[in-house]
Amino acid sequence: MSASPSANVEPLAGIVGAENVSTALEARIACSRDASGLEGECLAVVWPSHPEHVPAVVEWALQEGVDLVPRGAGTGLCGGATPQRSVVVDLSRLTRIGPLDREGRRIEVEAGVVLGALNRRLAPQGLFLPVIPGSHRAATVGGMIATDAAGLRAVRYGTLRDWVEEVTLVDGLGRVHRLRGDALSSAVGREGVTGFVVKAVLKLASLPTRRTVSLIAFDDEEALLIQRDRWLQDPQLTALEYLNRHAAGALGWEARPHLLVEFDSDRGDIHDPERIAALWRARDGLYPVLARRGHPVIEDPRLEGEALQELLRWLDAEGIPAFGHLGVGIVHPCFRDGDGRIPALYERVAAWGGRVSGEHGIGLKKKGWVDAAFRAEIQQLKEKYDPKGVLNRGKLC
Amino acid sequence: MLTEPTADGSVELAENPPCIECGLCREVCPLFAVLRQEHLSPRGLALLAEREVASVVFYQCTLCRACKEVCPVGHDPDGERVRARLVARGVETEANRAMIENIRKYGNPFGPLKEGEIPKTLTCC
Ligand SMILES: Cc1cc2nc3c(=O)[nH]c(=O)nc-3n(C[C@H](O)[C@H](O)[C@H](O)COP(=O)(O)OP(=O)(O)OC[C@H]3O[C@@H](n4cnc5c(N)ncnc54)[C@H](O)[C@@H]3O)c2cc1C
Ligand code: SF4
Ligand code: SF4
Repeated sequence: MSASPSANVEPLAGIVGAENVSTALEARIACSRDASGLEGECLAVVWPSHPEHVPAVVEWALQEGVDLVPRGAGTGLCGGATPQRSVVVDLSRLTRIGPLDREGRRIEVEAGVVLGALNRRLAPQGLFLPVIPGSHRAATVGGMIATDAAGLRAVRYGTLRDWVEEVTLVDGLGRVHRLRGDALSSAVGREGVTGFVVKAVLKLASLPTRRTVSLIAFDDEEALLIQRDRWLQDPQLTALEYLNRHAAGALGWEARPHLLVEFDSDRGDIHDPERIAALWRARDGLYPVLARRGHPVIEDPRLEGEALQELLRWLDAEGIPAFGHLGVGIVHPCFRDGDGRIPALYERVAAWGGRVSGEHGIGLKKKGWVDAAFRAEIQQLKEKYDPKGVLNRGKLC
Repeated sequence: MLTEPTADGSVELAENPPCIECGLCREVCPLFAVLRQEHLSPRGLALLAEREVASVVFYQCTLCRACKEVCPVGHDPDGERVRARLVARGVETEANRAMIENIRKYGNPFGPLKEGEIPKTLTCC
């Protein structure tokens, strides 16, 4: 990374306050990557402390001729928040929560609110935002909207798209849009290429009063998938997580394929809340543990039926550790850097009619694998919301 | 990384697992909780340490190790050793210098104190 950046940030200090912008090497290095480890060059970092700052930051970028990268917690796994000689706009300081509409079960939050903090705040009211990615302790609402995050309870509660009522979006010309209904698809899952999510009104669910889990080891994937299909019929199922034998072994569990399932009833075998919390903690830490053991490249294909079974068989036979939200067909194989089988995975998934990204997004990492229809859709959105190409340049396609 | 021999020549026996940048520890860090800037988070500090950036930002870490408690791989920020190396390279805050000097001279970080006197200034890193 060059020692002296080339963006004139002086006018920015006038907009956001001198303490909320930096060209210091420390800040630029720290924001040069996301959890994928994909690295780029960061020219400066801005931390808006009010949503109202963001349109002015965009206007500054248009004048300066630099591009902007929205950043939440940087837990993204596909380089979506990685700058490429860009200015990073870190929304972590937009943390206002409320007001809560208890009757209507909805709440307004700013983009930098962390899911874990939001749910802790809501718990005494018996409510929660039920989309829980493994990164829930750190991921921001803005980042989750931008990636249409799924996660551990997607089998019951779907993805973030199902829980957003309104998004306030600042586009690439600095215009502010309040998106509702069908228009939400211009922001949700668009990974910041159409604008900054600065605020959102989220729908909330009732917090289950009962939670039990079962952890079951199977002889093989076939038997496991038969049991999966049975459990999917259960209306009280809230999570159905898979670990293949290579991933289970990494956690110190018996090296057999496992399902970790959760019910909001007494149906599960494990009732002790502390044991349940410990199991979920182990599950949350699974990717970091596999990364530490030399498998940092995580993928997220989504498949169903025969193809899903084929995929699980292939991963098992190849010795590739994998886990995932099997209830919705999302699998996370983890590879060593540069593993030649990664393109083979994408090719297989495409041939089987699956999606190469079930939840993490496309970012920089998977843009070579999107189809022409997706590219055309993004280009159309770009013309409407970011005609000057200021936002997340070079991402998605 | 920070696994080289210590100043007194002893060698670290336990390996410190490197940070894999998941970011899961951000919210437990008291430093990040207040400042909300990536370079003042455990992950940011780990990256700067790995790159051997000689910076006074390391003095802002409280050495509490809350990050290590929640880290799925058990990465230790090893703030004491990072600072020791910074001091050896002449990178130190004025406050740290005064604090260490006070401890050496007076046995406490505050400076000269009479019996029962409550310190008026807290010199910290
Ligand atoms: C251990 C671990 C487990 C994970 N588990 C899951 C999981 O179960 N399910 C899942 O879906 N994901 C998971 N992820 C991936 C990641 O946590 C999600 O993609 C999350 O939604 C990203 O949120 P963030 O705040 O960290 O966003 P970032 O990583 O900062 O950004 C992600 C993308 O969104 C854009 N963006 C961020 N904020 C905004 C904003 N306010 N406006 C517009 N664009 C924005 C960025 O430019 C980037 O393209 C996991 C990651 C880790 C490290
Ligand atoms: S210190 Fe641990 S928890 Fe924090 S980012 Fe690094 S690996 Fe993740
Ligand atoms: S040891 Fe330092 S980096 Fe880790 S949580 Fe405490 S203050 Fe943060």
